[in-house]
Amino acid sequence: MNKLVALAVAAAFAAPALSQDKPAPPPAWKQGMPAKMKDSKLAPHAGKMTETPASDIPVSKLKVPAGFKVELWSSGHPGGRAMALSDDGKKVYLGTRIIGRVYEVSDPGDKRTVRVVVDKLTQPAGVAFKDGALYVFAIDKVLKFDGIAGNPNAQPADMTAKFDLPKEQHHNWKYVAFGPDGKLYVPFGSPCNICEPPTKEYGQIRRYNPDGSGKEVLATGVRNSVGFDWHPKTKELWFTDHGRDWVGDNGPQDELNKVSKPGGFYGFPYCHAKGVPDPDIKKPDPCKGVTLPVALMGPHAAVMGVKFYTGKMFPASYQNTMFIARKGSWNRTKPMGFDVVNVRPSEDGKSAKVTPFMTGFQEGGDAYKFWGRPAYVAQMPDGALLVSDEQVGAIYRISYQRPKAPAKKQK
Amino acid sequence: MQKGRWALALTAFFLSTGLAQERLQLCAACHGEGGNSTNPQIPSIAGQPKLFIENQLILFREELRKSDQMLPVVKGLKDAEVIRLAEHFSQRAAKGMEPGSASKELMRKGGSAAQQLRCGICHLSDFSGQNQIPRPAGQREAYLEAEMRAYRDGKRTGGDTIMAAALYGVSDADIKALAHYLSRSSVRSRAR
Repeated sequence: MNKLVALAVAAAFAAPALSQDKPAPPPAWKQGMPAKMKDSKLAPHAGKMTETPASDIPVSKLKVPAGFKVELWSSGHPGGRAMALSDDGKKVYLGTRIIGRVYEVSDPGDKRTVRVVVDKLTQPAGVAFKDGALYVFAIDKVLKFDGIAGNPNAQPADMTAKFDLPKEQHHNWKYVAFGPDGKLYVPFGSPCNICEPPTKEYGQIRRYNPDGSGKEVLATGVRNSVGFDWHPKTKELWFTDHGRDWVGDNGPQDELNKVSKPGGFYGFPYCHAKGVPDPDIKKPDPCKGVTLPVALMGPHAAVMGVKFYTGKMFPASYQNTMFIARKGSWNRTKPMGFDVVNVRPSEDGKSAKVTPFMTGFQEGGDAYKFWGRPAYVAQMPDGALLVSDEQVGAIYRISYQRPKAPAKKQK
Repeated sequence: MQKGRWALALTAFFLSTGLAQERLQLCAACHGEGGNSTNPQIPSIAGQPKLFIENQLILFREELRKSDQMLPVVKGLKDAEVIRLAEHFSQRAAKGMEPGSASKELMRKGGSAAQQLRCGICHLSDFSGQNQIPRPAGQREAYLEAEMRAYRDGKRTGGDTIMAAALYGVSDADIKALAHYLSRSSVRSRAR
């Protein structure tokens, strides 16, 4: 009896809060979730790690503007997302997240073949190619494969120690690419939905020499950027950034940003989109000194890969405009994104116009009925576009056929 | 069900799915008949969401979720076999329920921890799981406790980073209570 009373007393006095071994921030995905959303059923969509047969990929549902054509270019690479083309453009290297592989898709001209270059890595999402070498960025590892395109047995050199990777994993899967300056650009996401990052090394985009030396921080206050490219004329870096979750269906919107000069602060965690103060992490004048985005890309749209078009195949009006993949929302009661948009910067580069370009991954309407999720865009040597679909592990090729007769203006 | 009918049903099933009986027997040897585990350390896989089972088999095969027991079993499994196995076990009836009586104190503590950690958002409010997210309701207690500790301590990696984040800094005592509570939550709905 006494024991029971003691238990009851202990229970009554036990702090309602969880006992913690050490003071710790709430988990990344939960940070910023208001009490009123505690019964929300919104959760990240399931990825797919098994092969989807080509016959199960409904390419005919994909819509592009008149004159353009979409075909299934390759499949059988589950989870494949970021694409890096070999120097001659005949091989495409594909990074993945959970399945831990990097694929090589070879294009001898008719039918593509796929092989696994490396596996068992922790989210090797970042792939870049330069001067015959493939660079692979996992969350905790950097590998370089010299001469891989010609030698399938090329062994990797471990470059991890050179790149100073921080330990938190969340939002630290990567997109990486070489800039026109020959440097390797690498983002370091903020390891949470919303928080003051635990140390300064998060929320950045950096650039390095290809060997990992010469580290320079180009941008700070970045939440989670997994896509960027350089304007073909101005050579400025344009990068996408995912907005935070759990503030409702309508915002804050994902961003398209521009780095006009190194060292800009892009607002996270205090200021989102075009000047929306954070409701949880507050400070006076939260948007003061913040470099605001060039364009808003839709709430929770999961804006991913960016590619400035410089090819000769598409109509001239597409020159130096961007194709941007929006993988599609989860933290929103109605779907947003699930498409590739064309983004046209204004003359002065201070704003941009967003137009749908490739749709049909999601069956319209207010319910989540999607079969594919476009993630990245690449340009082939002939000017055709490749679009990777992370959900079904496929790549689509978009080509353009100039109309023979004088036709109505396209687009 | 009578033995003869049972065998007939099984045969029909194997013919329809092309699953090798040896493979299923191999699974049952540890995970129990129909995937309901009788070993406290080994999880029940009956009635878990199909995509969850699929993903775990792939993670074991790719050596991203490390297990000396599972690796030899899944090594070389083709994607099509993985899908069929997942289909098979997701459709078995989950029995659930840890034997032995529940501790009132652990149930209270575990229930409150589950509320505060918002387990129900992903695992659903009855902890029945969905898609890639498992059903902790009715799972073996010792297994749940060991896996949650492994997530928290960065020893179970390979999947997404969300579970490690969700359990960041949670005490051993709270994990113990959570495992007690979840293992004794009733298996209400059929997993999807």
